[in-house]
Formats: sequence, C-alpha cells, structure tokens
Amino acid sequence: MPLAGIRTVAKAQNGVGAFILQCRRLDFHYCDWAGSSRGMNAFIRSSLSNFAKANPQIEIRVSPRPHNHPTIVGHYINGRQVELDVRNLDKAGIREKAWFLRNTSGEKEKRTTKPVTSLNESVRGIWSPFHGARIKI
Amino acid sequence: MKRIRLSRCGAQLLAPSPPRRPLCPFAPSLQRTITPHNHRIQSRLQSTAAGTVTEIDLDDFDVAEAVADELPTRPDSVRHRPRELLPSPEPRLAKQSAKLAALRSRLSLPPRFPLETLARTLVHPSADPDPAFNNGSLSILGANLLGYYTTEHLTCNYPRLPMTVIFAAQYAYIGPKALATIASEWGIEAAAEPGGEVDPGLLQFKRLRSGQDLPEPLKGKKAPRKWNVTTTNRILKSDEFGSQHAGHDPQALQRQPIPMEEAAQSFVQALVGSLHLHLGSPLVKRFYRDHFLSRHLEMDKLFDFRTPTRDLSKLCAREGFEAPVARLISETGRHTNHPVFVVGVYSGKDKLGEGAGSSLDEARTRAAAAAMKGWCLYRPLEVTVPSSTEGEVDPTKWKPNMIDCGEVIV
Repeated sequence: MPLAGIRTVAKAQNGVGAFILQCRRLDFHYCDWAGSSRGMNAFIRSSLSNFAKANPQIEIRVSPRPHNHPTIVGHYINGRQVELDVRNLDKAGIREKAWFLRNTSGEKEKRTTKPVTSLNESVRGIWSPFHGARIKI
Repeated sequence: MKRIRLSRCGAQLLAPSPPRRPLCPFAPSLQRTITPHNHRIQSRLQSTAAGTVTEIDLDDFDVAEAVADELPTRPDSVRHRPRELLPSPEPRLAKQSAKLAALRSRLSLPPRFPLETLARTLVHPSADPDPAFNNGSLSILGANLLGYYTTEHLTCNYPRLPMTVIFAAQYAYIGPKALATIASEWGIEAAAEPGGEVDPGLLQFKRLRSGQDLPEPLKGKKAPRKWNVTTTNRILKSDEFGSQHAGHDPQALQRQPIPMEEAAQSFVQALVGSLHLHLGSPLVKRFYRDHFLSRHLEMDKLFDFRTPTRDLSKLCAREGFEAPVARLISETGRHTNHPVFVVGVYSGKDKLGEGAGSSLDEARTRAAAAAMKGWCLYRPLEVTVPSSTEGEVDPTKWKPNMIDCGEVIV
C-alpha cells in the first residue's frame, strides 16, 4: 500500500488531562517612602506569605522601586506580561488584584461570538445540499 | 498483594555484582523511607541496607536532608573553582530556587520528588559534560519509556493502522517538536548561557548561534535518493519516528552548540525518566496519560494516500468483499466553472465511503480514501495495554488484543 504519513504535532488541551496554571511569575514592586505604597507594604508584610502558600505554582518576586507607585507584574506561559498599577489601594484591594493576575491566562482579550469553541468536529456535521430531501425549484 | 521478584530468583547463585552507581544519585536515600516501586532498588535494600532501615515518621522526615548527604561531588580539579567557572549550578543550590519549586507544583509532582533531580533534568550534556551532573542518562530512559507507552497505545487502540501512519502519530505525540512544545507549555525558560551562577530552574544548554551549522551527531546520514529505504528497514534500523537515521547518544553532544528544541526535548525525556526512578511506573503512566495522551490529534488527517482506489479494490479482494464500485450520488453544475459531484463507493449493497469533488475522478478518489480510512481507523471497544499488567499476578485481567493481518500488499 503506497502511503505516507503526514507529520504534525498534537495540540494541547489544557485542563483535559493535566491543568497548568498559566500565570508563571508575579513581581511585586513597592516603595518604602511614598504613601501610595502603604497598602502594598501592609500586604507584603502580612498577606503575601499566605498568598504564596496558596499558589505554589507561581514564582513570587518582591523588589523595591523607590519613588514610584507600587505595581504588580504577572508573567504568563504564553510569554506575555500584564502590569497593574495598584497605587493607593488598601490591603484587600491589592489581594484582589493579585488573585486577578493569578487567574488570567495572559491572552489578549478577544470577543467570543460563538457559544462553543472546540477542536472536535461537529457531531451532526455540516449541512449539505446534496443529501437528504431534495428541494425542487 | 504479593509480587514475584525476578531479581531474587537466582540472585544467590550468581557472583556478587560490582557496585553500580545508581542512575539517579538521590534515589537510594529517598527509598529508605518510601515504599519502593522499582524492584532493583528493593532488592538492593534487602541485601545491603536491611540492618539500617529504621522507622521514621514521614512528617518529621526531611527529604532534603537525606538527599544532601548523597549529592554527587565534582572531581577535585573542578570542585574548588569559583561558582562562575563551574559548568552547571551545584545540586545543593536547587533548594533555594523559586523557579524549581514553582515548576514542581505546576506539574503537580509530589514533594517527595526532590528538587535536586528536577534541577539535574534541566542540564543538557552540551552545558555540563560530566555524566553525573547532566541529564543524558535520564533522557535515554525517559525516551524509551515515552516510546513504549505511545507505541502500545497506538498499536492496541488502532490495530489496523499502517506503519507509516504509526510513525507519524508517534512523531505527533512524542516527536522532538511535540516535546519542545510541551516544555514551553510547562513554562520552561532557557538560560542565556549555562554556568554555575545561573538559577538552577532555567534550562541549561550551549546555544547554537544564528548561522552556525548543526553539530555532527544531530545531522545524521541520509540515505542516497536512489536507495529504496523500505518500511521494514525503518522499523529495524531507525528511531521510533521512522526517520532516515537512527537516534544519537546524548552524551555525544558534549560541549557542542545545539538548538533549543534539542535541549527542551531532552529535558522532557529526562523528567519522565527521573519520575520513573523516584516515583515508580504507576505514577509515570498517570503523568503520561495526563500530559501526553490528553493532547488532541486527528488521526484521519495523518493519511496521505497515493492510489486509494487500487488499495481499496485489493483490500476488498483480500477480505472477500464484492469488488468496489463507484456510483454517482448527486451532482450540480456539471457545465459550470464549479461543478460538485458526490460519489459513493459501494461493495454490493454496502456503502464503504463517500466523497465530494469538483470532477468525477476527484470525487471517486476521495470516496475510496474515505473508505480506506474507515477500515484503517477501526478501534476495538475493549483494550488492555501490556503495561497495565505490569506487576500483576492475576492473569485474568489480561484480555488479548485484536491483531490485524496487516496492510494491503499491492
């Protein structure tokens, strides 16, 4: 049987077998002096260790950025970064932003027009004018 | 359940084997407290370390401490060098790397899998030529395991798949490109240049600069065009993807610049190998199912027929079906620029396949190809893969798989 195989690569379906959290790293930047970092400093002192324990998949870096507003930068597996300005937020607000960055996939926002996106073929198939009852004109 | 250990059957009759360095330096120290899965390690415990085994509460036991006394040491000429001059990061630094700990829990690996081994799987022989510190040996083991699990999955689930399609499917699941994609989907980053001062959580290999030629072992030797390289020859002589040349020894790439794909591939293979050594085959099988088999592959897109109509008529003759006949089911616009014909291939009263095309011949060929795919992609309902009976004593669980009589010979 003269036949050749076509070389492709199987596509990933994250969450079908294993689930890989898309957030790879979170950077927390703060300033010791400025008032806009007050909530961030409190968060780093009291809640960051709990956040890190709850999310061991994420590498966490804390670094000072003097004379700048505090920020959180998320690094994602697709290579993109998302940076959030968290100036003047209190501790709870910063925790919320950190969880937001943890939960996003890092993809650009897209408009979804179809209710289902799937790699599988439709079970019913595409409607064909050549099959079924004929329409006589 | 009691297991029969083959290694114990004739062990007392043989001469004592020379002391062998275990493949993974951290395995014996960990196996002291954790139920071993590997029968070799088990037998080693019974012969040498039986007196020293003590009951340790698992909660108090620190895996890292046990690993620390058994870390491999570098030769004296290298050991006293400053950290920047070492070829790869020292294993004891693995505990301090946030990247490694994050990677371990991202892959949902249990904490008893040591970070030191995970760090070792990230060091390619091109960065560190010392086989005690690079992932060469682990990647050989992992590549064989991956090949074994993929082959048994394909041949048991699709017993009528032609050999070239099996090769293509293997390539799609565990080929170099697939493994490199998997590594990047796990969030692996590469170090710009390997060295002792680099974070151990980065992939360490010597990079191929742009415009540089591939190293000799990666090039392989291609057979001349006029040689007829048969499928049988590919099964026997080449790797599991039916390539023109056999795979290379990873240690042959020492200190040679390599592409990123090669290093990422060896990392994934080495990780599977080290998981097998540390956690045993049941967990590796689960890991393989979750990370590799769960990927989406459309098997019917892997076929590239050259003469499907001839193959189909030979197949029908072999199986004793009536000779296939192509019949026009419907058509439109025969005299326009865009005609469509729908043709079915029938054997007696049974429709074997159907295809649409813009000429009668094209539609007939497509219909024959669809019929051939329908035959080749048959999946039995109940399948027991051979590896599922590993370590089982009860033979009733094994249900023989269907074996097809083979491809159609034209």
